[in-house]
Amino acid sequence: MGYLFDPANWEWVFAGRNFMFLVERFLNNIVLALITMALSLVLGLVIALLRISKNKVTSTVTGIWIDIWRNLPVLLILLYFGLALPQEVKEFWVDIAPGWLPPQIRDSGQVVASIIALTVYNSAVIAEIFRAGIQSLERGQGEAAAALGLPYWKAMRIVILPQGLRRMVPATVSQLITLTKDTSLVSILAIQELVAAGSIVNNTSGSPFVGVGVPAPILQVYIVVGAMFVVFNLALSLLSRRLEVRERKRAGDVETVTGLEDQISIKTV
Amino acid sequence: MDRVIPIITNNLDEYASGLLVTLQLVAISFVVAMVVGTLVASLRIAPATPLNWIGAFYVETFRNVPLLVLAIIFSAGLSRAGLSLGKMSAASAALGLYTAAYIAEAIRSGVSAVSKGQVEASLSLGFTYGQTMRQVILPQAFRTVIPPIGNLIIAMIKNSAIVAGSLIALDDILKIARVVNSRTFATNEAFFWAGVGYLLLTIPATIIVRRLEKRLAIKR
Repeated sequence: MGYLFDPANWEWVFAGRNFMFLVERFLNNIVLALITMALSLVLGLVIALLRISKNKVTSTVTGIWIDIWRNLPVLLILLYFGLALPQEVKEFWVDIAPGWLPPQIRDSGQVVASIIALTVYNSAVIAEIFRAGIQSLERGQGEAAAALGLPYWKAMRIVILPQGLRRMVPATVSQLITLTKDTSLVSILAIQELVAAGSIVNNTSGSPFVGVGVPAPILQVYIVVGAMFVVFNLALSLLSRRLEVRERKRAGDVETVTGLEDQISIKTV
Repeated sequence: MDRVIPIITNNLDEYASGLLVTLQLVAISFVVAMVVGTLVASLRIAPATPLNWIGAFYVETFRNVPLLVLAIIFSAGLSRAGLSLGKMSAASAALGLYTAAYIAEAIRSGVSAVSKGQVEASLSLGFTYGQTMRQVILPQAFRTVIPPIGNLIIAMIKNSAIVAGSLIALDDILKIARVVNSRTFATNEAFFWAGVGYLLLTIPATIIVRRLEKRLAIKR
């Protein structure tokens, strides 16, 4: 306990650019999470529509696809794509990466592997969230749309999806929290982000030549790193709770899709 | 892909031992998670505000921190502070304490799903508080809590790869895939079989949880 709270072990936080360095690298995690989330939402919607297709073969094959990816560890998928993705694809990313991305994200070929891996996994989870959102609607909605003469896709677009999407907001935000935590894993592919930055601070801060001459003990460094994730994710979950309350005020007691560590359930709020 | 079969037949022992390490890690962590999770849940529903705060602090911290960071803290971090845990204890402490936050939330929502009227009704029927808990509240809470806990076990199987793959470096099934890959350069095949190993655990577990969910559902 003495070691943990000893002020000498915390001095590094305020020394030089240590803290700013961590914050800058955390931005890479957030950028990766947002890119992956955007891709997963698009891909997840497509997968969900295939999953609820009336064609038995399509829906079964899609169901197997979803269950396989959802039930594998993210780390396995990440390592696999990191090792198996052809070099050309990685170089292609370095060539085409847009200039507004942080430099560590732009210049690493492994980033494309990690985006693919995280998207394959998360789109499967998001697809299940979409499906739960759509299926939480009363059957009457689809039947009424059909009785009014709306074709399947039109009913989907203007009746089912707008209502289903609203109900899946809380689950999507919890998935974004899980995803933000999962971006810490890309450090294993040598991508520069917060967890890797923690190790840099721990290794260099004590040196008067490359660091600031104030040692940064690993325990304290990773407590700060963890706290940064906690603050960001807490802000996200507060936002999600706000949205849920607003939705309840607007629509009364409806069913909402909630997520918990990649698992989805339909709850009456 | 023509090496699919030889990769597993030549390395079957290693893959089996890796799967065993994964299972062992999940089993020990589950015990930690259940004990700590129950404790934290009782803090959260205790009739004393400071206790609720401690419980809430625990849940929000451990639920929002990446498991990889916890694994680093419980291995290299603590050993620097002079508290060296063994590999398996560091790994199961990280995974167990992380999952405990989710277990606590599952238990809490299970207990609060039983309506207050039921407590009042059974008390007014002359049941003691202990009898009310044992015979009315807990059996119902138990039913709602089982499926989420099942889902958390599945999440633990997947998350075990993270703690084992961190600085702790346990020889779990994913590590075996990396070793086989670096020895044979058969990346697709090596990871395919590790994936099969995980799916052998997670898919049956998913099916069981889905069944339980249907059977235990309480119509309200």
